[in-house]
Amino acid sequence: MGEQSKAIIDADSQVYMRKRNGTIKRWSKLLLRSKTGTVGLLIVFFITLVAVFAPILAPHDPNAINPGGLHVPPSWMEGGSAEHLLGTDNLGRDILSRIIYGSQVSLLVGIAAVLLSGIIGVCIGLIAGFYGGLLDNILMRFVDSFLAIPTILFSLVFLAVFGPSIITLIIVLGLTNWTSYARLVRGEVLSIKERDFVRAARSIGVKNNKIIIRHLLPNVISTFIVISTLSVASTIILESSLSFLGLGIQPPTVSWGTVLSDGRDYLATSWWLATFPGIAITITVLGIIFLGDWLRDVLDPRTK
Amino acid sequence: MMHYIVRRMLQIIPVLLIISFIVFTLVFIAGDPVALMLPEDAALEEIEQLRESLGLNEPFYIQYGNYVFRMIQGDFGESFRYGQDALSVVLERLPATFELAIAAIVIAIMIAIPFGIWSATKQNSSIDLIATGAAVVGKAMPNFWLGIMLILLFSVTLGVLPVSGRGSIAHLILPAITLGTGIAAEMTRLIRSSMLEILNQDYIRTAKSKGIKSVHVIYKHAFRNALIPFVTITALQTSTLIGGALITETVFAWPGIGQLLIQAVNTRDMAIVQACVMIIAAIVILMNLLADIIYRILDPRIKLN
Amino acid sequence: MKEPFIHIKNLRTYFHTEDGTVPAVDDVSLSINKGEILAIVGESGSGKSVTSLSLMRLIDPPGRIESGEILFEGHNLVDYSMKKMRAIRGNKIAMIFQEPLTSLNPVFTVGNQISESIIEHQHKSKKEAKQLTIEMLTKVGIPRPDRVFHSYPHALSGGMRQRVMIAMALSCNPELLIADEPTTALDVTIQAQILHLMKELIIEFETSILLITHDLGVVAEMADRVIVMYGGQIVEETDVFTLFKHPKHPYTKGLLSSTPKVHELKEELVPIPGSVPNPIDYPIGCRFADRCALVMETCRTVHPELIEVKPGHLVRCWLHERKGEGT
Repeated sequence: MGEQSKAIIDADSQVYMRKRNGTIKRWSKLLLRSKTGTVGLLIVFFITLVAVFAPILAPHDPNAINPGGLHVPPSWMEGGSAEHLLGTDNLGRDILSRIIYGSQVSLLVGIAAVLLSGIIGVCIGLIAGFYGGLLDNILMRFVDSFLAIPTILFSLVFLAVFGPSIITLIIVLGLTNWTSYARLVRGEVLSIKERDFVRAARSIGVKNNKIIIRHLLPNVISTFIVISTLSVASTIILESSLSFLGLGIQPPTVSWGTVLSDGRDYLATSWWLATFPGIAITITVLGIIFLGDWLRDVLDPRTK
Repeated sequence: MMHYIVRRMLQIIPVLLIISFIVFTLVFIAGDPVALMLPEDAALEEIEQLRESLGLNEPFYIQYGNYVFRMIQGDFGESFRYGQDALSVVLERLPATFELAIAAIVIAIMIAIPFGIWSATKQNSSIDLIATGAAVVGKAMPNFWLGIMLILLFSVTLGVLPVSGRGSIAHLILPAITLGTGIAAEMTRLIRSSMLEILNQDYIRTAKSKGIKSVHVIYKHAFRNALIPFVTITALQTSTLIGGALITETVFAWPGIGQLLIQAVNTRDMAIVQACVMIIAAIVILMNLLADIIYRILDPRIKLN
Repeated sequence: MKEPFIHIKNLRTYFHTEDGTVPAVDDVSLSINKGEILAIVGESGSGKSVTSLSLMRLIDPPGRIESGEILFEGHNLVDYSMKKMRAIRGNKIAMIFQEPLTSLNPVFTVGNQISESIIEHQHKSKKEAKQLTIEMLTKVGIPRPDRVFHSYPHALSGGMRQRVMIAMALSCNPELLIADEPTTALDVTIQAQILHLMKELIIEFETSILLITHDLGVVAEMADRVIVMYGGQIVEETDVFTLFKHPKHPYTKGLLSSTPKVHELKEELVPIPGSVPNPIDYPIGCRFADRCALVMETCRTVHPELIEVKPGHLVRCWLHERKGEGT
């Protein structure tokens, strides 16, 4: 008896593994077919490497002031030096090193905030969908209210109250983006609740959380991944905007937004200060959008 | 129709209440505004007196009730920086923001409609690739950076347009382009995808079979249908537009509500911050309502239902 | 009186898809006589609709007319520029479609959509066009036409919408009306009304009809001559009486015995076994061979030609290859 069920389970898991390998193969085939998807993945992979290995890759300390070499232009220009590939700023700090370190903040804040908003959104969506009634109504009015406040406005109020720091920034960006998850999960819960197998499961006393894990998660996971990926892109832009306004990341931590903001006052003399961090942001966000769009095409053909 | 509008107006009230609650709670947590209002060496008695007179010793819910009650009368408190009623300070700045927003929308429409239609009618052509490519890059580019790059090119290098401030049409051009291109990216994608869907509809085949000019098929029969989601979604994007305006105004020192707000946040002038949030939220909500109404006007199928 | 005015010669319309080329219309020749109703019958995918759209030059990429001629009043429409073609569409050749709701633009009034082609082709003023539109609406039996003029399509019933489509198609007095499944989407009682109306109107307007349908009941009701299509090709062509009394092709016979007949209730319905072969990869022999009860060795290896077995009766089948001439 035991032998038999073990054999069945083994066979099952083999089928499962074969299925999984098939999926991986299918995915890589799909990825290679989409040029933008491939480019997006490569960019994201590259930026992640840069962020992780920033201390090794950066040629200089990003905050090292060098009074002897202020406003050094990029190396290919007249007066540039190979030591500072992208030039130096008004305090003689190396722009390339600052951009390399800036990637850490962008990715950290982007991913942490999206995880936070994912958790908040899924919880609220589950509660609203599962319990329904008045609670659902109140929570959905909350969603409406959040949609009526521009994300950046909410962040500004929050930062005005709690003062800027990297933790506040993650919390505030996490608090602003949860509405799309809440709507997705709530909608899914509402439709699942009506299906026969859930009624059946409930009638034999299966616990709510078990139903949710078994039936809800598989249904929302793909849309969840797509929303999350695209949210990381918008969160990175938002973080850099807030840092640019002086309300986000504070020195000595380096963020692309602050580097750009420093460079803004020297446009007439040193164009490279404001230009390169902007390019870094654009390429990173572009890569994530490419990846996200591709994921949407693969995972969620409905929303194409 | 009137009935519908009234019902929707009534739905606005709880949303505004929730927003005011969130904002008030945040400000309450932020703590005492008194410290900012008096000189640092003020006597303890003096502080206590001011607290009492401002009602700050009352419990939370009473304070919130008072706050809502005053707000309904248009009283958002006094800005300590400007020394006057916060609401009037905000309203004074509103026309500048409207001017910028409208100019930006006009620019966005002028870019998005032709490019959206071209790329949909010539799918996978080079125009399509350029338009969709530009739309994605436009989405990936931070607004404020685009503004700075435009200043670098047109003001610093070429010296043809002013760097910042408000006054002439020339002052408006760069901020409007900055804000407009950001929205144009999303608009172009939207027009392209709805045109692609509509061009496959049966009634487009009917229109072609009638022998009318393809310009009419595209601009009359197809575009008139694409206009319905376009206008609706554009009105729904007011929130994005205002969010973009906040930053654009700062980059170009444009004296609108965004610049005011960011200064207020920096100086912790909470009366101004609260007034700004409530006014912006009210604008966004009204625009959403307008979107619904326009949708009903544009789509004859809905009017009768 | 019955002289042909449209000749389609060796028409091939192919769709170049990612998976391969689909010969949707594969060497089709036919002619339409003045004042007659010619029906093309076939299952979906037989190429009947693509034939009619080719005639209007309304084939969108990835589809393309590969070769052949469409002679209309002595001119080859395949060579026409888009501008010249526009002067034909809606004017000399008009079309009505299966689903009147989706075929009418939802955001324009009925009057706007009908007068559009009048203004385009007859160069009338808006006011004159309105007059003519209301006349047309009256002719197709729409009550209170001046009110319907200002209605939107969704406000009308299915039958009314199809009447509007007919009014739109006949508004410029075309030589040919292509009716692509004109009654399929309608209720049975409405179907009869619409068919009756069409029959009436073509006498008044002296219009010929190319009727595309899968419904043999409609064919019996309407058609003078019938073409049966299968797999992008004509398999049988004859007058309507011969088709029902003496069908030659096994596919035609199959179609007839799979259709219920009102007068012969007892007869058992026999479905045709199997399904249409994959058009990307048609067999080298007869395309119907796999579903044919009378299949022979030759059918699988050699493609049959369309042969005239009697004057006006053409069949593409090895069973009817005249003795001594075939291999």
